[in-house]
Amino acid sequence: MSHTPFILASYLISAAVLLWAALSPVINKRGLLKQLKLRQARMEKTQ
Amino acid sequence: MNPIYLFFHKTGSPPWFYNFSGKLIPWLWAGFFLLTGYGLYLGLLVAPADYQQGESVRIMYVHVPAAWMSMMIYGLMAIWGFIALVWRIRIMEVLIISSAPIGAAFTIIALVTGSLWGRPTWGTYWVWDARLTSELVLLFLYFGVIALYNSYDEPRKAARAASLMSIVGAVNLPIIHFSVVWWNTLHQGSSIGTSGSSIHPSMLWPLLYMAIAFKLYYGANLLSRARVRLLKQDHRKRWVKDLLSKETS
Repeated sequence: MSHTPFILASYLISAAVLLWAALSPVINKRGLLKQLKLRQARMEKTQ
Repeated sequence: MNPIYLFFHKTGSPPWFYNFSGKLIPWLWAGFFLLTGYGLYLGLLVAPADYQQGESVRIMYVHVPAAWMSMMIYGLMAIWGFIALVWRIRIMEVLIISSAPIGAAFTIIALVTGSLWGRPTWGTYWVWDARLTSELVLLFLYFGVIALYNSYDEPRKAARAASLMSIVGAVNLPIIHFSVVWWNTLHQGSSIGTSGSSIHPSMLWPLLYMAIAFKLYYGANLLSRARVRLLKQDHRKRWVKDLLSKETS
């Protein structure tokens, strides 16, 4: 039995999980900052 | 004041923590990429195949460090949970809930890579033995902490519940660690302990490089998540408003 598919699958799945875990706070931060800036701009307009 | 006490005292301040962690994160990522590159080079290209398991032993360089991380992160969550409950330090609460998804990610990696390693060596992807089952329970504990935290509207109350669950769940850690000693399992016993290692240095070094790389990854990811959570919780506070004005100008 060739072990290559098992090794490849292990590293690819690990890379995908680590990438997802690393990118999710970056995406969340971008969305949150956008939302907070919009809110701040709206508040400054009303004052 | 003693500089170490002063450092811990400062860590309790969200604006200071936000700025300090922002400076630290790029260095942690740089260390992670360097060590991962070198560790993978040694593990996949330089280290020899195992005399019994053949090439499949190369899965070890991702499986073992991920399994160590899955336990270490939960252990840290339990310690921070205790500190958060006793001293009510908000940064600790933020660190617990920011750690849980990273711990879950490492547990998934440990389970999946272990399963992929099991097929060529044991002849099966999964057995309900003590080590594998207790590691699966750890994954459910991580999911439990995340679900419990998200079931509350008030972040401080949510963090208290998550802290308590982290402490109670820590009982699973010695079960995972000693499962290969207490019960008959397919999983091999520890090759690295306090008295030394039975692994040849050509395989041990890439394993240690990957283990340090994963710790740096955890540090960078944890701080990134904690910063987002602090911004979310403090969005009405002066320091966040100042930060936003600075970014827009």
